[in-house]
Amino acid sequence: MNLFRSEEHVRRWSQFNPAAEEGFIALPDLASFFGTETRQHMLDADYLSVWYPRRAAERRAVLERLGKTSPFWLGTPAPS
Amino acid sequence: MADPRLVDRMFHRIMRTLVETGRAPHYAELARPLSLSVGEARRALLEVMQAYPIGWLHPETDYIASFPPLNSLPTQYRISVRGEQKWFAQCGFEATSVTWLFPGRTVRIEAPCLDCGDTMLVEMRDGRLLTVNPRSVVGHLNYGFGPSRGTPPYL
Repeated sequence: MNLFRSEEHVRRWSQFNPAAEEGFIALPDLASFFGTETRQHMLDADYLSVWYPRRAAERRAVLERLGKTSPFWLGTPAPS
Repeated sequence: MADPRLVDRMFHRIMRTLVETGRAPHYAELARPLSLSVGEARRALLEVMQAYPIGWLHPETDYIASFPPLNSLPTQYRISVRGEQKWFAQCGFEATSVTWLFPGRTVRIEAPCLDCGDTMLVEMRDGRLLTVNPRSVVGHLNYGFGPSRGTPPYL
């Protein structure tokens, strides 16, 4: 889960996984994905018991909105 | 099984300490503030990490290595606030979430590109992207969610 200077740099990266061609995400989408409501409560005293359990459903909703509905993004089998 | 309120309190204390100091506390440091024995603090820490599996202890230790979005173990994702660089993000994705730990402040993310080593800069405030340099910066997930989590290299 890394940042790169551009998609071209990702593809040139020595450890690029050719099966991860769908692994790109635009920075504004990433900020949205990691800026959901639960993330805004990480400093709350009850974050772990109240907010963290809501995270999975929230993440899935964002991924669906972004059109990232493949197993790769929603939770994957082990890489082949 | 510890009282869920205690697990919440310990989580909160760890996150606050990371925000304040840039490093995660040892469980022995958490004992007294939480009115626990050192042994009770260790057991509570293990419960916190079980309840928050996106973080992890350094293998074969009770040291908190990763407590996302921040990392106690340095990564290439250096975080600065008010000109002070003392935090590290767990990964490039979590780096974009650090902004929520510093409300009202500009959070600066600097990291070398894993391809060329040249620096990338992203600045955020309250979730908004303020600066992206170069503008072509992109996120990439190399193995899909799940399999790569917590395993080196963190791809």
